[in-house]
Amino acid sequence: MPFRNLPIRKRLLRVILVINGVVLTVACTAFFLYEYYNSRSNTLNKVSAIGQIIATNSTAALAFDNKDDATEILTALKAEPHVEMAVLFDERGTQFSLYGRDTTMLPLIPHPLPEGHRIKGSILELALPVMLNGHRLGTLYLRSNMGAMHQRFQLYATIVVVVMVLSFLLSLALVRWLTRSISDSILSLSKTAAVISQKHDYSVRAGKMGNDEMGGLTDAFNHMLDTIQTQNRTLRQFNRTLEQKVQQRTAELEYANKELESFTYSVSHDLRAPLRAIIGYTAILEEDYSDKLDDEGKRITSVIKNNTLKMGQLIDDLLAFSRMTRQEVNRETVDMCAVVQEVKDSLAGDYDYSRVDWQIVALPPAAANPGLIQQVWMNLIANALKYSSKKEKALIQIGGYQQEGKLVYFVKDNGVGFNQQYGHKLFKIFQRLHSMEEFEGTGVGLALVHKIVARHGGEVWAEAQENKGAAFYFSLPA
Amino acid sequence: MPALRTIAHMCGIRTWFRHTAFLAVYLLVCCQPLFAQSPGREYQLKSVFLLHFTQFVEWPETSFKSDTSPLIIGVLGNNPFGAYLEQAVAGEKVDFHPVVVRYYKKESEASGCHILFLNAEPDKIAGILGSLHGKNILTVSDRPGFARQGGMIYLFNKDNKIKIQVNIDACKKSELVLSSKLLRLAEIFEPPKTNN
Repeated sequence: MPFRNLPIRKRLLRVILVINGVVLTVACTAFFLYEYYNSRSNTLNKVSAIGQIIATNSTAALAFDNKDDATEILTALKAEPHVEMAVLFDERGTQFSLYGRDTTMLPLIPHPLPEGHRIKGSILELALPVMLNGHRLGTLYLRSNMGAMHQRFQLYATIVVVVMVLSFLLSLALVRWLTRSISDSILSLSKTAAVISQKHDYSVRAGKMGNDEMGGLTDAFNHMLDTIQTQNRTLRQFNRTLEQKVQQRTAELEYANKELESFTYSVSHDLRAPLRAIIGYTAILEEDYSDKLDDEGKRITSVIKNNTLKMGQLIDDLLAFSRMTRQEVNRETVDMCAVVQEVKDSLAGDYDYSRVDWQIVALPPAAANPGLIQQVWMNLIANALKYSSKKEKALIQIGGYQQEGKLVYFVKDNGVGFNQQYGHKLFKIFQRLHSMEEFEGTGVGLALVHKIVARHGGEVWAEAQENKGAAFYFSLPA
Repeated sequence: MPALRTIAHMCGIRTWFRHTAFLAVYLLVCCQPLFAQSPGREYQLKSVFLLHFTQFVEWPETSFKSDTSPLIIGVLGNNPFGAYLEQAVAGEKVDFHPVVVRYYKKESEASGCHILFLNAEPDKIAGILGSLHGKNILTVSDRPGFARQGGMIYLFNKDNKIKIQVNIDACKKSELVLSSKLLRLAEIFEPPKTNN
């Protein structure tokens, strides 16, 4: 596992132990090396000093050729157990006197003897000139065994290793104990955070262990939880109020809507009765009193009848529109081709088809209410016929395709079209882009189309250019 | 071919000859007592001793005329050293005092020296020492009984070696300080206790 993924406690532990280990090793090694070299140079200095003293003391013995005295001087080296052997050579290099426990090493002394000191392993060899008034009387050779020192240093090394191991173990225990306060507060905080993110329970609080940065963080965390809780409460309250308001408004709206619908229905329905009377009596006027009316009277009667019929149409449309809002949409698979054909046939009486070029491509079937969808087609095709009626040759294209999980149908004509700028007004009730004089209409048809398609879960839109025709699209869920 | 072999043979003989000669000389040198047949060698050593005494004895400042005036080693009586003493002191200096050798016939001439080797008849020694009394002269001799007679350093042979006997009282009277190094290897003369 990479270091940064380790639990914080282990990381703290490792960091501290590594630092501890490095510091201990460096310190111990430094002390050990210092002690070693110090001790070595001390030994060298000591042996040199002893050598110097003996060399100085030996001058008379060499000068006056007194071997007994020289031997006596050398024998004083007994006090220095590490000096294994001492040999005094005269000026010709022959052995003058000897001190030593193990004289088997004697032949190993190099000849001629190089001055100064040499260290071979644990053996320190020292050769000093014995001088008198600028004359060399001879040479002193000392051989010191630093084995004892080496042994002492082996002991030192062992002690150092033992101390290091012990202090490492001690620091391990201490670190475990001391880092608990740090890691525990972090662990407590992260546990709390986990509980919150899993259970979304903002009422829990992290336990505080001290007043350090972690304590501050815990406080800040708890404070944040307080804020979240308060905000949650406010939000919930607000939401509840909003819901109540929405319900209230919806109820009000529904009531108003119903009222409006029933009003529209009753108005439309009640308006039909007097209209029927007007139409009936106008028909009587035309049939029974035509001989008594002059031409002007006949024209006025005709105008009355036409307007009354128009009004009847308007009332029918309004009724259909208002019925639409109350009627349930029962869907079944509808063969759109058959519906379009039916609509086309039913409109044949009202328009001159001889000047119309129909281009109808295959229409995919849709799940819809057959009666309502027929009204959609009826309105769109009638519009196309109406607005292209002033063209010498009208072209009406009808088609459908599937796109992005939707079924799209269209009706295009090459009629007068409209300004796309006002396109958004088209599907609103009683909104018209052309005058009654230009094209007849109640301004209900496209609003009805919009309403029906919307109730099927689809959309309506139009594309057009003035005098270059219009295209009406509607989509249904596939 | 035979000629070559003869040469090789001769060479072998010559090498053998040389070795034998060396061995003989070596045996002659090593096995003989040091002075038995070579009094010259004895005095050669003694002349070195005389020189070395200059290193282990301190004279009072007043015994030198100046810082560079010579340190005189005198020999009274017949010269037993031959040229050895001259050779030994050649070019030697003690501090800034060049070491020189003087030969005296009479003790009256020896008053300016620092070390005096007395090669006199034993019966004359006491008289000579008496005349040198109070002077800063280290008296040395190899005449038996020299220390007893008031001489300072008596050189004698023992176990084939030259040994030193020192009369400390005599040295003190002449204001001469002998190094402890010298005293340690010397035999100290104990004057006989006088009964009053």
